[in-house]
Amino acid sequence: MNTKKYLLRTAFAGSLMLFPTLAFGQTTNNVSIEALLQRIEQMEQELSGLKAQVKQANSKADSANQNAAAAIEKAETATQEAKTAKQEAVRTASPSTTNNNGSDTKWHLAGYADAGLVITDGDGQDTFTSGKFNPMFHFQYKDLVLFEGELEFTTDSEGKTDVELEYSQFDIFLHDNATLVVGKYLSPVGQFQERLHPSWINKIQGAPAGFAHDGVQPANDIGAQLRGGIPLGSAVLTYVLAVGNGPRIGHEGGIELEASGNDDNNNKAVTGRIGFLPIANLEIGASFLTAKADGIDGMGVFTPSNADFFLWGVDGAFTRGPWDARFEYLNGERDSLFSAHEPGGDVELLPMMELEAWYTQLAYRLSGVTEHPVLRNFEPVVRYGEFIIVGSDELREENAQKRLNVGLNYWLAPSIVAKGGVEWRNFKVVGISSETLYQFQFAYGF
Amino acid sequence: MTNRLCNNKSYVWALATVFMLLATPSFAADQTSKPDPAQTARGAKAWAANCARCHNMRSPKELTDEEWAISVTHMRVRANLPGNVADDIIAFLKASN
Repeated sequence: MNTKKYLLRTAFAGSLMLFPTLAFGQTTNNVSIEALLQRIEQMEQELSGLKAQVKQANSKADSANQNAAAAIEKAETATQEAKTAKQEAVRTASPSTTNNNGSDTKWHLAGYADAGLVITDGDGQDTFTSGKFNPMFHFQYKDLVLFEGELEFTTDSEGKTDVELEYSQFDIFLHDNATLVVGKYLSPVGQFQERLHPSWINKIQGAPAGFAHDGVQPANDIGAQLRGGIPLGSAVLTYVLAVGNGPRIGHEGGIELEASGNDDNNNKAVTGRIGFLPIANLEIGASFLTAKADGIDGMGVFTPSNADFFLWGVDGAFTRGPWDARFEYLNGERDSLFSAHEPGGDVELLPMMELEAWYTQLAYRLSGVTEHPVLRNFEPVVRYGEFIIVGSDELREENAQKRLNVGLNYWLAPSIVAKGGVEWRNFKVVGISSETLYQFQFAYGF
Repeated sequence: MTNRLCNNKSYVWALATVFMLLATPSFAADQTSKPDPAQTARGAKAWAANCARCHNMRSPKELTDEEWAISVTHMRVRANLPGNVADDIIAFLKASN
């Protein structure tokens, strides 16, 4: 369009310039006028030709623009198709996820596994351990319900595969600050059992003394919980209140703090924990458990009675940058009761039993002092703890001890770790030799 | 001491019931919301503050968006995260993925 205007202007200006000449020429030479007219006519023809050319050029430009628009549209379509194909490829490559189309239900397979080697100077043999394989299943319906379950596969000393259900629970989200949990759940007492025991999180190969089987740390229970976190300004208050089947009397009059499919009495155990985080790096908590446990049936003149069991504990953790420091303390007390030591044994009066366990642990990631690509992944760790048992000589002989762990971890990835460490077990009962274990473990959380 | 606590169990039940009744009206509340830059920023802060309390922080690239959504919901329960904080963390992880 601009070219057309320019040509018209040029022609018009040329005409104006010619008019004076015409006037003078009329008086001098008619032949010149005719020549000029011919020239004007010629120019008009040229102008018409140029107009035609401009029109043709504009037409070509319009066509080019249309082609360009079509090409852009095609490119956008191709980009969208590529994006869709990529999403589909990701979905196909991640069979554990099925919600790319915004469906109401989605699921996720996670878990952890470990394998290791234990060398001991005690009565046991040096042995490779197949460790554990713990798949975890998460099924979520919208933002209303999450079902989560964890199995634990281990190999026993005879080569058989043991399978245990660690937890199997429905999380029903009532509110931003309240979740109702029903089913089999990990005990909310303290921090270790519920949050720290998976081998890719635990910085030492095993649990602290008193925090594993036959210890004072409850493992899991079956019942219901109400739990959540409540912001208090910049601080956070967390709470758990649980009602479950509760513990049972175990062998030698000990207390079995593991979930049982059927309660041994009508009394329900009440468990709770309050956690307070004044700042993000610091968490302190207090827990309790109160329950009754029935004595074990047996022979003799006495019939089994039940006993009160009460547990309380405190815990704390400070985590900042490469530092990870934590402690836990648990104190449990079972009243005296009539019970057999083992099913079918003689029923007798078992004295009150007190259980006390604690540990403190400090770990430091070398990334705090070096950027070296290898050195920065090392993490020295030390843990010291104690398990005290009063009221059962048999259990005291088996488990009461002081335990020191010193280890060095290497993190191949945030959830893949190779651990090496030494564990010194100093048993409390005179006559039982101390034991030193050299432990190596490879763990992967996925 | 145990007897005293056992006698108070009815009180605990009542307390739990009242709490649940208070919480129930929000049961059907839609917790999904479109992430915005402010939410993503809050999520980044919450992610850094909460995840490292128990374990190493995992890269947002380790899981897909959907896997993160489920995984963080699991951690909402395990770590007693308020629901809105969990939503912020999910928004951050999706934005970083």
